Amino acid sequence: MKGGDSIWQNAYFIAFINPTAVKEGIIMAKIKWMLRASMPILLAAVLLLPVNAQAEKVLYVGGTQSLTGPFAEDSAAVLAAIEDYVAYVNATKNLAPWRKEKFPADVKLEVMWRDDELKPPKALSIYEELKAKGMLVGRISGSPIALALKDRMWEDQMGATSMATGPYYLSPPQSCFTYYPIYTDSIAAIADWFKTSWKEARKPKVAYLTADNAMGRSIEIPEMKAYLQKTGYEFVGTQYVPLVPTSPPTTQLTWLKQKGVDLALGVMINPGSQPTVKEMARLGMGPHLAHKMTFGVPAPGHAAVFAEAMGELGDGYVCAGSFRPMDDLATPGIKFCSDLQDKYRTGKRITHIMYEAGVLEAMVQVEALRLAMQKVPFEKLTPGDVLKHGFYQIKNLPTGDISSTPLTYGKGDIEGVDQVRIDQVQKGKSVKVGIFPLRNIYTKK
Amino acid sequence: MSLRTGTFHENYAQEMATLSSRRQWGTVAALLVFLFVCPLFLSDRMLTILTTMGIAVVSIHGLNILTGYCGQISIGHSGFMAVGGYTSAILCAKLGWPFWAALPCGALAAGIAGLLFGLPSLKIKGFYLIMATIAAQFIIIWIIIQLRSITGGTDGLLVPKPVIGGIVLSSKTNYYYLVMVFVVLSTITAHNIVRTRAGRAFIAIRDNDLAAEVMGVSLWSYKLQAFFIGCIYAGVAGSLLVHYVRFASIEQFPFMDSVWYLGMLIVGGMGSTAGAIFGVVALKLLDELVTVAGPILAAAVAPQAAASLALISHGLIIIIFLIFEPRGLHHRWEMIKTYFRLWPFSHQEIE
Repeated sequence: MKGGDSIWQNAYFIAFINPTAVKEGIIMAKIKWMLRASMPILLAAVLLLPVNAQAEKVLYVGGTQSLTGPFAEDSAAVLAAIEDYVAYVNATKNLAPWRKEKFPADVKLEVMWRDDELKPPKALSIYEELKAKGMLVGRISGSPIALALKDRMWEDQMGATSMATGPYYLSPPQSCFTYYPIYTDSIAAIADWFKTSWKEARKPKVAYLTADNAMGRSIEIPEMKAYLQKTGYEFVGTQYVPLVPTSPPTTQLTWLKQKGVDLALGVMINPGSQPTVKEMARLGMGPHLAHKMTFGVPAPGHAAVFAEAMGELGDGYVCAGSFRPMDDLATPGIKFCSDLQDKYRTGKRITHIMYEAGVLEAMVQVEALRLAMQKVPFEKLTPGDVLKHGFYQIKNLPTGDISSTPLTYGKGDIEGVDQVRIDQVQKGKSVKVGIFPLRNIYTKK
Repeated sequence: MSLRTGTFHENYAQEMATLSSRRQWGTVAALLVFLFVCPLFLSDRMLTILTTMGIAVVSIHGLNILTGYCGQISIGHSGFMAVGGYTSAILCAKLGWPFWAALPCGALAAGIAGLLFGLPSLKIKGFYLIMATIAAQFIIIWIIIQLRSITGGTDGLLVPKPVIGGIVLSSKTNYYYLVMVFVVLSTITAHNIVRTRAGRAFIAIRDNDLAAEVMGVSLWSYKLQAFFIGCIYAGVAGSLLVHYVRFASIEQFPFMDSVWYLGMLIVGGMGSTAGAIFGVVALKLLDELVTVAGPILAAAVAPQAAASLALISHGLIIIIFLIFEPRGLHHRWEMIKTYFRLWPFSHQEIE
């Protein structure tokens, strides 16, 4: 039998004559139905996608975030702060309560972000997307992302704020800017601070007890070891702990104990430092325990977060390069953070200290855009303009004392701050114990 | 490819041809032209997505040969990619080898690693083989971390821009073309490997290894061949990935990627070259969709709603496919093709 001459004849043939064809027709009908059903969903998705603003002047801040993975808690607080700060600037056109400069009235800020899951290839794709959508400032969410994007951002002349602060940033070319000291400068400050209270005649023994990832290992540069030895330490060796340990690092700590280590330094986040210090206490290791050993980490292991979770069990834990506690409302910057949350985050208050970091990041991004717009008209702004006339021109940006000093950036100056704040957990509270200058320790290739 | 109603093969050459009608040649030519002109109208972002998809396709073809055709389930594919990627990166960054020479060496190194870790497959299968391949993933990453002086350990390794014939592949368009060449080559070879003696042996082992052995198929030889070939694909993909990112890091080869690669094969349809491509496209598009939808969801529901969205959606889609369409998208595609091929007839004659 020959097929029908028209679609209707074909349909009649399928529907009424051939039982198998009827069965297949049903399957095809299902597929067609599914295709039809998916059309409104696709349409809605397309309509909901953020598009480049055409009618009004819009600038984007934010960037890639690591909301999935070990930095999720930190990233979520940072993102919330960026959103709140942007809402504040849009509503008031002020940049901070203590600043007189105004953000251009005809320009609106929008937050644009994506979750990179701390995966470099995904961050690469997100970076391309945000750049294509007109984002003029970038963001780095962690050391793996930093190492993958750093050189690419330089090629694109894209300035970026960074939550990671490894010494890899200090090797030129530089277009990524941190707002707390790099890890090597932080642990150098801890070493300096520890020496001020060292009374024995022998050299103090120092070892690395650090996270086993790019962030943790970034302190293992010859210059860091040389600095420790130059300042009178005996360097013993290195032990690694998983970024998020699944079992207590007993072997590593026992090694430190056997070697008689006085000061252990490393880069850890709280999910790593808390179980490590718990095990230290169990093994009798700590500044106030049988085996006198002090453990110090840079800012990702914030003392305020640590103290809240560990209480007095964590006494003696040292953190360098962090911020003031969130309850220090006498500080203008902290009060500003609190006010932002009162106004834009009612009922969903964020107590994580990285909220302060998010406000700093947003301040830096917005300031870079504002400064660039003073030199280049909005319509002609490029990432290169924002880097050259924005980021590089930020000098003594007042942060309301959120950061240890006002932020200054420029060619060859990506660290922002000039001093390192040191906090220690004492009686279950984070207490500031000193402030030390930057040592600028990085690999000078 | 199957033929439309009324088209018949008339000789052996036609029977064996991969493409046997003008229509099929036309379709393939149109697809190649489409791939070629993509950079003319696609943004950098889309090219980035297509490039990463292409790299995944190369890798999944290898996994499809190993798992889909030979039935040797591997959850260490990302580890084998790491072997290829790091070998290529070390040869280029430390020894100054050209990219075109380093890439095949990376592929070979991954193939050899596959042979080594494939050895247990001679004694174990099923669940136990899965555990052995998971171990491979972790052992490879551990070795990379320990060989710090060579691999850069957890710091990773900066990789120079690839250069072929004096052309620096620094632009996204250049690299897109390079990856697409590998996609086409890997698809053709994967499709043809299955038609060889080895390919038929793989399928025999997958369907019933005891029966295959009784029929004279050497399990020892063919299982190791499957591991070697599958891991060569992984090595090529790993090498393409590190040269694309221009940085080799263990974070580029996480364990979960190995799981998702298997998921792509499930979604696309195991034991089919087209299925491997469908799986990659489906899950990568889903990944992009949830990445874009994350901020919208966070604003509409809760800030934390976006966290782990990709993990959840990937897991969910794999479960859905396992329950409702275990033969994957390829099966659906075949149904659609069959329907239109026989239009307006059914595949059965009318009584």
